[in-house]
Amino acid sequence: MLQKKVCMVGVFGTGKTCLVQRYVYSIFSEKYLGTVGVKIDRKEVQASGQPVMLMLWDLEGRDDHRDISTSYLRGAHGIIYVVDGTRRETFDQIFEIRDIVRGEVGDVPSVLALNKVDLADAWRLDAAAEKSAEGENWHLLRTSAKTGQGVESAFLWLADAAVGAT
Amino acid sequence: MNSERATGPLSRQDLERPINTDSPVVADREPGVEALGTGNGATPNSDFATLRQLLIGPEQRRLGELAARLDEMHLTPTELAELLPEAIALRASRDRALGRALAPTVETALHESVRRNPREVAAAIFPVLGPAIRKAIAETMGALVRSINSAVESSLSLRGLKWRVEAWRTGVPYAQVVIKHALVYRVEQVFLIHAESGLLLNHVTAADLDAPNADLISAMLTAIQDFVHDSFRPNEGATLRTFTVGEHTVHLEVGPRALLAAVVRGTPPEALAPRLQSALERIHLEWAQQLVDFRGDATVFEPVRPLLEECLETVLSTQQARARGAGAWLRWAVPLTAAVVLALGLTIRSRLNWQRALRTLDAEPGIVLVDASRGWTGWRFNGLKDPLARDPSVVLAAAGFSPRAIWGRWDSYLALDSGVVAIRARRSLAIPATATIDLRADTLVLGGTAGVDWLARVRGATLPIGATTIDVSAVKLTLPPALDSLREAIERQLILFDAGSSQLTQIAATQLRGVSLATRRLVDAVTSAGATVRIELFGRTDPTGADSTNRSLAQLRVDRISRGLLSFGVPREMVAGQPIATDNPLDDSDPARRARINRSVAFNVEVNAVQPRPK
Repeated sequence: MLQKKVCMVGVFGTGKTCLVQRYVYSIFSEKYLGTVGVKIDRKEVQASGQPVMLMLWDLEGRDDHRDISTSYLRGAHGIIYVVDGTRRETFDQIFEIRDIVRGEVGDVPSVLALNKVDLADAWRLDAAAEKSAEGENWHLLRTSAKTGQGVESAFLWLADAAVGAT
Repeated sequence: MNSERATGPLSRQDLERPINTDSPVVADREPGVEALGTGNGATPNSDFATLRQLLIGPEQRRLGELAARLDEMHLTPTELAELLPEAIALRASRDRALGRALAPTVETALHESVRRNPREVAAAIFPVLGPAIRKAIAETMGALVRSINSAVESSLSLRGLKWRVEAWRTGVPYAQVVIKHALVYRVEQVFLIHAESGLLLNHVTAADLDAPNADLISAMLTAIQDFVHDSFRPNEGATLRTFTVGEHTVHLEVGPRALLAAVVRGTPPEALAPRLQSALERIHLEWAQQLVDFRGDATVFEPVRPLLEECLETVLSTQQARARGAGAWLRWAVPLTAAVVLALGLTIRSRLNWQRALRTLDAEPGIVLVDASRGWTGWRFNGLKDPLARDPSVVLAAAGFSPRAIWGRWDSYLALDSGVVAIRARRSLAIPATATIDLRADTLVLGGTAGVDWLARVRGATLPIGATTIDVSAVKLTLPPALDSLREAIERQLILFDAGSSQLTQIAATQLRGVSLATRRLVDAVTSAGATVRIELFGRTDPTGADSTNRSLAQLRVDRISRGLLSFGVPREMVAGQPIATDNPLDDSDPARRARINRSVAFNVEVNAVQPRPK
């Protein structure tokens, strides 16, 4: 079976782990547990008419003291950048993170997940911001690990793109 | 030829060739001129030459100059420096000819450089060689230590001994028994992992094993490898080689494009690491391009499976046997030394025991050891034994030797050892237990106490062999109850005198008569038994008066009583007097009564044995 390595990257607390949990196990927990190092899960999907095993590397989020670990990115076939729509700074930093990732793996198929879209009241990304992101070379999606909105399609799109890129 | 000339640059030959020759260029372009020249002989030729000179002379000269210049043309160093890198890159990208051409030169240069200044080259390649050498040494040492560990462990442990017993029992060589049991380890799974992405390229497991999470394990192993690398020595290329989870050890071999992970239950064999290494090297060699091009489709690595399965197989056992063979001396040395020391200790102890046993038997009265030997099963003795002597087994048991089989052939004899003679005497003379026997030369010297009646029996008895005389003088004789009470009655008597007198009062005379009769009865009874009586008289006075007077008075009183005894037939030699006067007074709380009881004569009776005459 075809295998693809997908890395979840972003600032800490943006919901990377939650997205994976929602996608792989269909569960959601409000409890926040920071990821240390990396967590790996897998999910089999159908992409471009063939079964594909996605190996999901859920990387420790970036914080003030620690940049994302580029070692874990090596050989990735797809990247999901995760932004917390209720924290503007996570959006601003994603461009820097993207540069780091591209420096390591090049221009691989990517998704920008604007997460926590269920928290509409706290949403801090204005139209201009989203517009600015649209021009970049990634697939932009609004997601919610809580409701499941956009989660399946984010991964599926990436799987398709990764398979197409081979 | 034509097309090459047309497209290629002009060669030197092209330039030198005269225009009127068979140059196809000229011929093609000027067919008329060619036809004119060849058809009109010498004159037209020289005319033509002149014409040619006129028409193209300057150009021809110019061409000649150019040719000369090209002939002499060299690239200046500056120009070469400009072009060289590009030229090399260009050519190297096209084929390997440049490499082949340069190889001898580079080899010579390297050789020369090493010859001239080896230190420089060593310094340059050290960063590459150092880690490689270290790695090789570390692996060799690791394997050696593991080999020693397992050798020592298997030799000294109970398990090792059990194996030896099994080898001895079944007749199978020990090495094979070890192999049979040592294969408790098993290479259960082997993962081939894409180094860059951590994706699983191939995976094999032992036949009866189910491993559903191979792809996750593969990814995690890579992540762990990355983590360790980042955390500890990011700049040195250090990698995680092994880690242990419960009874499993995961052994990792890391290559530039792929890594091989083996999950081993139990102690990994030392041959595993080289086996994994060579498998990984082969994979890198044969699937180099596939590893580079890998984008998630692992099907191309299906042919690797047999190579991985080789790592699962237990061909390792032969290597292990060889490794064990190499460490055999060590495996044997320790237990062998221990066994030798133990055997030596046991031998010495046994020998000392034996010698002590011989000494014990030698010292035993009535036993003469003629011949003795010992074997695995017991001790064997030949000798002489007096019937009265103790049984040798009893003797040895009494001396603290643990019971063991003892055979002996004992011929009877009559021992003259003092001990045996004493036993013999005790039996034949019925010497009571209260009496002691000592043999001095051939005289039986008796001590302790014995009855007067026994003395009477001894008097007529025959002495045992080994003794010619008997000395009973030291024996304290005891009397039969009737006589003893008679003796006590005599000793209780105290014959009192009046102050300053040695004359018997009426009462004293009666008392003396009674004492004398009793003494006479005692003497008669004792002397008939072969003993003698000694009656001692203690004459006392009260303390009044001078000492000399008192002593004379005491003597007079003793004499008076003595005469009385003799008159009743008590033999003179049996009576002795002691005029002690005031030396050892009898005591009483009342002074008058004390004075009175000390004006007296008291009696003491002793019974002694009479030395029998030798028979």
